[in-house]
Amino acid sequence: MALELSPKMQAFTQEVFPAFIGTARKNGSVELVPVWFEQKDGSFWINGGTNRGWFKHLQRDPRITLLLVDPKQMFRWAQVEGRMVNWAEDPGGEHINHLSHRYLGHDYQNPRTGRIKIQIEPLRVIGSIDGWR
Amino acid sequence: MAGAKMASALSPAVQKLAAMPILLTIATKRADGSVQLNPVWFELRDGFIWLNSNTSRTWPKNLQRDRDVTMLLVDPKVPDRYAQIHGRLVSLIPDPQHEFIDRLAERYTGKKFRDLEPDEHRITLKIQPVTVTGALI
Repeated sequence: MALELSPKMQAFTQEVFPAFIGTARKNGSVELVPVWFEQKDGSFWINGGTNRGWFKHLQRDPRITLLLVDPKQMFRWAQVEGRMVNWAEDPGGEHINHLSHRYLGHDYQNPRTGRIKIQIEPLRVIGSIDGWR
Repeated sequence: MAGAKMASALSPAVQKLAAMPILLTIATKRADGSVQLNPVWFELRDGFIWLNSNTSRTWPKNLQRDRDVTMLLVDPKVPDRYAQIHGRLVSLIPDPQHEFIDRLAERYTGKKFRDLEPDEHRITLKIQPVTVTGALI
């Protein structure tokens, strides 16, 4: 069952910094890359091309871990364990353009075709934002 | 892995980034195969990545069970510039006089590390970088 984010996590996830996402390859090794994200209605949304390694991994094993760290205050961080619950095409790149505005304040400059958006449901949060557990 | 580069010598761009007091993100595997991520202090020295932890923490336990580790360094000014480094734990070195954690604390905070808790045992982890991928290769 999805975890309901605390008010502190709700606020933290509105701040603008990349999420670092970890997914498991078939051979058990981990892919770890920075991505743009947004948290909306309790879910995390990320965007990518269908050829991304992490998307292939998530289709096989939907478990995903996100690390959120305040780049200005390193002790403010949260690890979110979650699961991909849905993905959809991003026709016209509306979602990546929305993320571009969140991060850069302007329209997305790269091609907007062939993109997908992924919905991640949080299951557990660890780290300093909610207190250690 | 396509596009991966052997890390026998990390590139000048990666070395330059690693010289800054930025956090390294490390990914380890839990026993159930799920991915654990932690932000950690580190130092790149003599071609190895050096970390330090408390022996009761989960991530060093994960690393002792499965020595493969994925690490991520991101340029704080340009998050599109990053290096994903796959490495392997090559040794665990007890740090009873907390010399190395003090050294890391100096690098990141300008001060020695806090006093240790009564049952806190520090340990240094030596990681061999194996391959590098990403926009900083």
